[in-house]
Amino acid sequence: MTEKIDNIRQQLTQQLAGVSGQAELEEARIRFLARNGLIAQLFDELRSIPPGEKPAIGKLLNALKSDAQQMYDEKKASLEQAAGPHARLLDLTLPGRPRPLGTKHPLTQTMDEIRGIFASMGFSVALGPEIESDYNNFEALNFAKDHPARDMQDTFFISRDVLLRTHTSPVQIRTMKRQRPPVREIMPGRVYRNEAINARSLVSFYQIEGLYVDRSVTFSDLKGTLAAFAHQFYGKDVRFKFRPTFFPFTEPSADMYISCFLCKGEGCRMCKFAGWLEVLGSGMVHPHVLKNVGYDAEKYTGFAFGMGIERVASLRYGVDDLRLFYENDVRFLRQF
Amino acid sequence: MKISYHWLKEYIPISLKPAQLAERFSMLGLEVEGLEDLAAKYEKFVVGKVVERLKHPNADKLTLCKVDIGREVLQIVCGAPNVAPGQKVAVALVGATIPRDQHDPEGKPFVLGRAKIRGIESNGMICSEYELGLGEDTQGIMVLDQSAVVGVAFARHLGASDVIFDLEITANRGDWLSHIGIAREAQAIVKKKATLPKIRLHESSVPAAKHATIKILDPQKCRRYSCRVLRNVSIGPSPRWLQERLTAVGIRPINNVVDATNYVLMETGQPLHAFDYDTLAGHTIVVQCAKDGEKFTTLDGKERVLSSEILMICDGEKRVAVAGVMGGANTEISDRTTTVLLESANFEPSAVRRASKFLGLSTDASQRFERGVDVGMTVYAVNRVAQLLQELAGAEVLKGIIDVYPRKGRAKSVRMRIPRANTVLGTSISKQDMVSCLKRLDIRPVRQTKDAVTFAIPSCRYDLAEEIDLIEEVARIYGYDKIQTKTRTTVDFSKPLALEVLPDLLRSYLVGAGYNEMLTYSLQDRVSGHLGGEAAIEVLNPVSIEASVLRTSLIPGALKVIQNNQSHGQKDLRLFEIGNVFRLTGSTSDESLEAYNEEERLIILLSGAIASTHFSTSGRTVDFLDIKGEAEALLAKFCLDKYRFISYDNASALIESALAVEINGSYAGLLGKVTKSIAEKFDIDNDVFVVELRTSAIQSSWSAERKLKPLPRFPSVRRDLAFIVDSTTPSQAVEGAIREAGGALLSGLVLFDLYAGEQIGGGKKSLAYALEFQPRDRTLTDGEVEEIVGGIVRHVGATCRAVLRSLST
Repeated sequence: MTEKIDNIRQQLTQQLAGVSGQAELEEARIRFLARNGLIAQLFDELRSIPPGEKPAIGKLLNALKSDAQQMYDEKKASLEQAAGPHARLLDLTLPGRPRPLGTKHPLTQTMDEIRGIFASMGFSVALGPEIESDYNNFEALNFAKDHPARDMQDTFFISRDVLLRTHTSPVQIRTMKRQRPPVREIMPGRVYRNEAINARSLVSFYQIEGLYVDRSVTFSDLKGTLAAFAHQFYGKDVRFKFRPTFFPFTEPSADMYISCFLCKGEGCRMCKFAGWLEVLGSGMVHPHVLKNVGYDAEKYTGFAFGMGIERVASLRYGVDDLRLFYENDVRFLRQF
Repeated sequence: MKISYHWLKEYIPISLKPAQLAERFSMLGLEVEGLEDLAAKYEKFVVGKVVERLKHPNADKLTLCKVDIGREVLQIVCGAPNVAPGQKVAVALVGATIPRDQHDPEGKPFVLGRAKIRGIESNGMICSEYELGLGEDTQGIMVLDQSAVVGVAFARHLGASDVIFDLEITANRGDWLSHIGIAREAQAIVKKKATLPKIRLHESSVPAAKHATIKILDPQKCRRYSCRVLRNVSIGPSPRWLQERLTAVGIRPINNVVDATNYVLMETGQPLHAFDYDTLAGHTIVVQCAKDGEKFTTLDGKERVLSSEILMICDGEKRVAVAGVMGGANTEISDRTTTVLLESANFEPSAVRRASKFLGLSTDASQRFERGVDVGMTVYAVNRVAQLLQELAGAEVLKGIIDVYPRKGRAKSVRMRIPRANTVLGTSISKQDMVSCLKRLDIRPVRQTKDAVTFAIPSCRYDLAEEIDLIEEVARIYGYDKIQTKTRTTVDFSKPLALEVLPDLLRSYLVGAGYNEMLTYSLQDRVSGHLGGEAAIEVLNPVSIEASVLRTSLIPGALKVIQNNQSHGQKDLRLFEIGNVFRLTGSTSDESLEAYNEEERLIILLSGAIASTHFSTSGRTVDFLDIKGEAEALLAKFCLDKYRFISYDNASALIESALAVEINGSYAGLLGKVTKSIAEKFDIDNDVFVVELRTSAIQSSWSAERKLKPLPRFPSVRRDLAFIVDSTTPSQAVEGAIREAGGALLSGLVLFDLYAGEQIGGGKKSLAYALEFQPRDRTLTDGEVEEIVGGIVRHVGATCRAVLRSLST
């Protein structure tokens, strides 16, 4: 019996050594390991072994059985490995299970970035309501009641003295009434203008307003702060210039222009061949405004600035038609 | 505002080229929106002579012309009835840009090509006045004077070497609305003096004062009224030079009297009005306010209802003009007019503005008065018109000017402290330099101390009233570019920064969860605005009905987005928005912000397939449990365990099968499926599931602060329990009972199977839960676990009429 066991072990070893494919391997399995295979037959023979020898032979047989299984498994593994990855059932080139891709709205991204730059300069965020009083929106900001400056901003009225804010500047008034200088705030929000909706103008849009009031804040600081912003936001190579303009709530007032980042100032369609892009309005806070919020205009000075986010984003992303920002076509949103 | 380069040079010598001047103007805050080079405009236009006119063989209304343009004779097809041999005409050559297209309703320009018209080649075009942009006549070609020289460039024939500046005038600078006003500003650029032409007037011996009287009954609203009387005026067309001047700045020539007043208006900025003297009853002018409800017909032929706030020019009997806005039809100049009363007056800005707003009538004159017209200009302007009409219309100028100036005050002066100016600007400009900056704008020092200078303000400068106004002038003239750009900004982090944190975190979370952020208009059409069922706020003066009501919910706007995407074949949507909604909580007549509520909300919506198509997935569409799961995940992240859902019947017209969300015990919003009927209103086929929450509610339970709970050091034990309950029993009730009985040791509870069917009989369902018990201080024994589980089974059985179906470890 011991001989038979050795013999079968030898046969198995030889046959497995000659196996080169799945079919031959299966043949070997059936011959040795199947329910009626050679090893199973040896177990059958065990019944006729004298009881005294049974434990020793049994042990040998069990060893053979487990060795045989192991030899078979090893051979199977080596065959699979030799066959290479293409032989496996899994096709690694199949597309993975899709995950939905989230996107932040391009206007939000633009606002986040602008806010982040000013936060790095120590500006906090202040917010205010979209429904405002005529006083906060106009009068406190030095727009006299019967002055044509009011025509600069076509207004949606809700009642005689209540309106949809035409700019984020009333948040300046609210902020200064709430706290004493130094005031260093950035004020994002939605504003409204009573204008026809078309590719270049919308009835509502986003602005970001900034305000810095303290002792000895100068026009020179205004230029420096906004230049730092422009270099961060538009790139360190942009050139800039400030041009006088008029806002009732600042004096002196200045429009900031940057060299067109598309054509580098050479002139192109985006900058209407001017080489310059108007990117924000700014100025020194008018003493009347400081007085209106109870600040001592002799002691404190400050600057304010504001920009329209749709314009900034449309320049940045090349969006020709502002309405696209509000159509929320997912084929548009998913590009950002 | 259009300014002619040539005209401007009559008041100040300028050697800068137009483009250079434009750049310098811009740097002074006088924005040049456009430069129109008239010579360039008529490039490829020449003077030609029609030498032959034949009928077009294939068209009755067309002619075939031979036109001599000097170097060659062109064959041109012409459609004008008035073309005739021997005429001198303006010929546009192939490649010319025709300023206005007669066949285009907006009169857009076009480039002339070589064309075959009804089979005959045409090598140019004989132009009409309209096409050349020189007049409104479209009926025939423009016939030039016989003195025109064939072959000469048309621009040269016109003498058009002028360049027109299109200026954007800011609301504070009414003084810029004239050529002399711009010339004064140019003083700062060219450093030369601007001067008005000297007036030489030959007055007759008849005194004007005998022929007219002026009374100002409202000296607050009428600051000054100057006038002259002119006799024997022969009304007729103006000479060419005057017509060209006016045309160049966009004013249509009418007759010599009107043209002269317009010329002086563009020269000085002083609005003038000519009355037909013979129609003025009593030859008297009375300036006073109208009566409420009175009617008056203005020059444009419209009858208008007046108010007692509106200042009127009246004669002895009737109203003859709305002061500073528009004249009346009853005293208008006509071809029969021979005697003219010329008004050159100054009205208070806010009075004119109110009248203009009340009447809904904004005119060139009213816009000028609103911004402020130089009160010192009335006399010069009326004399200038008189001089022109003497020259152009042979008018007899009656002797003397009638000038009523009731409240003539002292010239305005403003003091500026030199150190203050430097403090505001961050500069160290010397007193001398500041004074010299301002002098260039005719702002002259009248008194000086060591640190301060008092300046006399020219009467045209309404914008200069206090120190800061002068500081701005110093900065402008000194040059913004010369003021240092301080790169060292004084960063101050002494106070913690308040940044808008929660909405940012919500956005980031949702973007990570695969949502696209949308932003929708808050002004909606009336139907959408009222869908929320709350008191919506309406705008008094909407620009269109599409944007007239403030949203009360983010849902209608979101549905519009779905509709829009669906129409582009985009049906599988995961979207969110954070924005404000508005509601009326009081009465608009309160005139108080208290009457309005403004609340920030978050909306999340799911529609269409749960995931993009993939061969291995089912491609099922989203359902209620998806949006609930999304809400649970978000709430678990931001509100931990401080939220719960409450079943809600008929919660809203917008949402059905709704759950209300409570955070910290107060209402935070709704989640559910958009009502079928609402979805149909928006033509949406797919089911839409939404959750809309107040961000303030999330804020109330959210905190950025975190404290670590120690991780468990002992093993947890798991048991699975399945209960059979009535199919109407909510799973929340079973869960609640398990939690109650499980106590603090129960650390996890997951429903892993839900079954209804034959095995358990009709009207029943089986709920299988995995329970996890986590001790903090010891290892649980089997006995302890059996006891707790036994308690749970009894409690659930008692409270939910549940039968234990199976129990396994």
